[in-house]
Amino acid sequence: MPHFAYEPVKMPPEAVKLRQEVRAFLADEIAKGGFAPAVGSMVEADEAFSQKLGAKGWLGMTWPKKYGGGERSSLERYVVVEELLAHGAPALAHWIAERQSGPQILRHGSERAKEMILPEIAAGRCYFAIGMSEPDTGSDLASVKTRAVKADGGWRITGRKVWTSFAHRAHYLIALVRTSGTADQRHFGLSQFIVDMKTPGITVRPIYNLYGGHDFNEVTFDDVFVADDMIVGGEGRGWEMVVSELAFERSGPDRFMSTYPLLVEAIDELGANPERLQAAEVGRAVANLATLRRMSASIAGMLNEGKSPVTEAALVKDLGTSLEQEIPEIVRRILPVEPRGVSSNNGYADLQQLSQMQCVSYSIRGGTREILRGMIARGLGLR
Amino acid sequence: MSEMRDEMLRTLDRIVEGTVTTAMREAADEKASGGGGGKADATKALWSALEEAGITAIGAGGEDDVAFADAMELVRRAGYHALPVPLGETIIARHMLARAGMEAPDGAITLAVPGAGDLPKAVNGGLEGAIRSVPYGATSAHAVVATDGMLHLAEISGALITRGTNMAGEPRDTLDLSQAKLVASAATDNAAAALEAEGALVRAVALSGALSACLDECLTWVNDRVQFGKPIAKHQAVQHLLAQLAEETAAAGAAADLAIEAAEAGPARFQIAIAKARVGEAAGKAANIAHATFGAMGFTREHILHYTTRRLWAWRNEFGSEVYWQAEIGRLVASRGGKQLWPLLNGEL
Repeated sequence: MPHFAYEPVKMPPEAVKLRQEVRAFLADEIAKGGFAPAVGSMVEADEAFSQKLGAKGWLGMTWPKKYGGGERSSLERYVVVEELLAHGAPALAHWIAERQSGPQILRHGSERAKEMILPEIAAGRCYFAIGMSEPDTGSDLASVKTRAVKADGGWRITGRKVWTSFAHRAHYLIALVRTSGTADQRHFGLSQFIVDMKTPGITVRPIYNLYGGHDFNEVTFDDVFVADDMIVGGEGRGWEMVVSELAFERSGPDRFMSTYPLLVEAIDELGANPERLQAAEVGRAVANLATLRRMSASIAGMLNEGKSPVTEAALVKDLGTSLEQEIPEIVRRILPVEPRGVSSNNGYADLQQLSQMQCVSYSIRGGTREILRGMIARGLGLR
Repeated sequence: MSEMRDEMLRTLDRIVEGTVTTAMREAADEKASGGGGGKADATKALWSALEEAGITAIGAGGEDDVAFADAMELVRRAGYHALPVPLGETIIARHMLARAGMEAPDGAITLAVPGAGDLPKAVNGGLEGAIRSVPYGATSAHAVVATDGMLHLAEISGALITRGTNMAGEPRDTLDLSQAKLVASAATDNAAAALEAEGALVRAVALSGALSACLDECLTWVNDRVQFGKPIAKHQAVQHLLAQLAEETAAAGAAADLAIEAAEAGPARFQIAIAKARVGEAAGKAANIAHATFGAMGFTREHILHYTTRRLWAWRNEFGSEVYWQAEIGRLVASRGGKQLWPLLNGEL
């Protein structure tokens, strides 16, 4: 005991101050009609909003100044991310780029890639998609078949990626591709490439989700050229790169706060004097949320110290997505969803129904529940 | 983690190793049948060793006292070991008395927390009222008692009415406070609520230790037990059960931590409510997973698992169940409105 450590983290005074600045900015944006709070900041993309955040210095905050960063702590970044989610801000455009592609390029990219791309991400102008899954490759990521062959000064990629969120608006895509060996050689021979989406040979086709939203895409590569210095981490290190991204991808507040705006709406809909069990349902969600925030902030503290707490992050994601998925259930147990009377405000009910349909994806994206539990079991020494 | 904390925890582990046997646990268990359970002196050697090591005397304030967070780690470890003595109650009672400016006596001190609507009264230099479910009420010399706006230290050796137990066979006794002797009193705002919250804090912290014990016991078992020709640890279904147990254990630890940290700084009812709510939820899930993991073996009296799981079930009910605290959180949140939840969570209200 303990099996996984989530050491307490003290928020530095600058992070506490920053929280108020971000909140004031968001209140101002809402007041000006800049956005209406939505479920999940990973749903609404607003390029102008992302650029405003960039201008404030709230993107790429931890990166070196020479790449457009602010050289601030992971805890300050944590605060910004939390405030965006708590207010349902339309932050999808820059989300993947800022959360994981940027940090990945900063750690393992070429000097040219860093100089060309990082300042643009930090300005809120450059967006990324992640090309991991394929038609025959889901959780079993090492089985990717998309291939790159060596060419003069670079590589030529051919293959197909699916479930590629935001590929239709992203400027770049980081693709996991086989550069040597065969699919049965598993983790060997994989590499990560930064692919410019304007390169000839790329076709993006929408895959609409179950409620008609457009987030997913199918991306086809037909002999697409990528320069040598757009490999991340070097040839054959793709698997290692994927693993190192995961602590960034899985531990953040976006893994437990997607449906927070629905909880807020439900509390208002419930009124000031709920019955005991209605209150208890709300209280249970709040107690879970408060606990997850503490665990997630602890991971931000570990990242700040240069650690890579991949298993701890997997654990937070599994608990976090469970809460996100439970919130639509909790609120429908305590409030009717079916509208009553023409004068009733349906804001709450609309949000509940959207959340209900959206939240099934939360325990799939970024690593399924079953994959995460396998990782935790490995951390416990069971496999 | 401080060196002093490590040293204290090692001392506690050594004492447990030297004095706590299954026979002793069984003898201390007021619900044991056939083994002649409920012997009051069964835990004497354990308590004496704790006293001798100074562990029962921490929390009295003063310069060389143990830090509050370190004291709570002792409570957590005592929960891990499922110790059948009122160590957590004594430690938190001493802290409460020190904060209220009262001198703490030696020996076991328990918490006499009133049920809803049963607040005792202070009358003519004495107390009036009955309190049920007082932990180790029959064997503790003193109790901390709350009346309207006052916190008291009372000598309770003559105040026992009936003995009772919780699900884990731990003594939970009914006291007649008119037979208790008032030792000291101090004005305290919302004394009964404060006493209840301190009780909830020690139970939440002890529960987080008990969850860790549960996980350790399960991990050992799944590596040893062979079915279908391999340790059951190698079966994916079992791995996923234990992963969920690890998740609940980690969440319980973090929830207890956030309450400890807040309580060290001052009144922390909201954070304690969060902790007891979250840890209580984890306790029920953990007990289910542990029993699923151990199968029929874990359902027997002779196996040691029940010393932990019955405490998970008992402690999650005590000083307010998770539903009690969830409802309190929910009412507070509802009264403030949805937009105020975020500042509330950030400690700004």
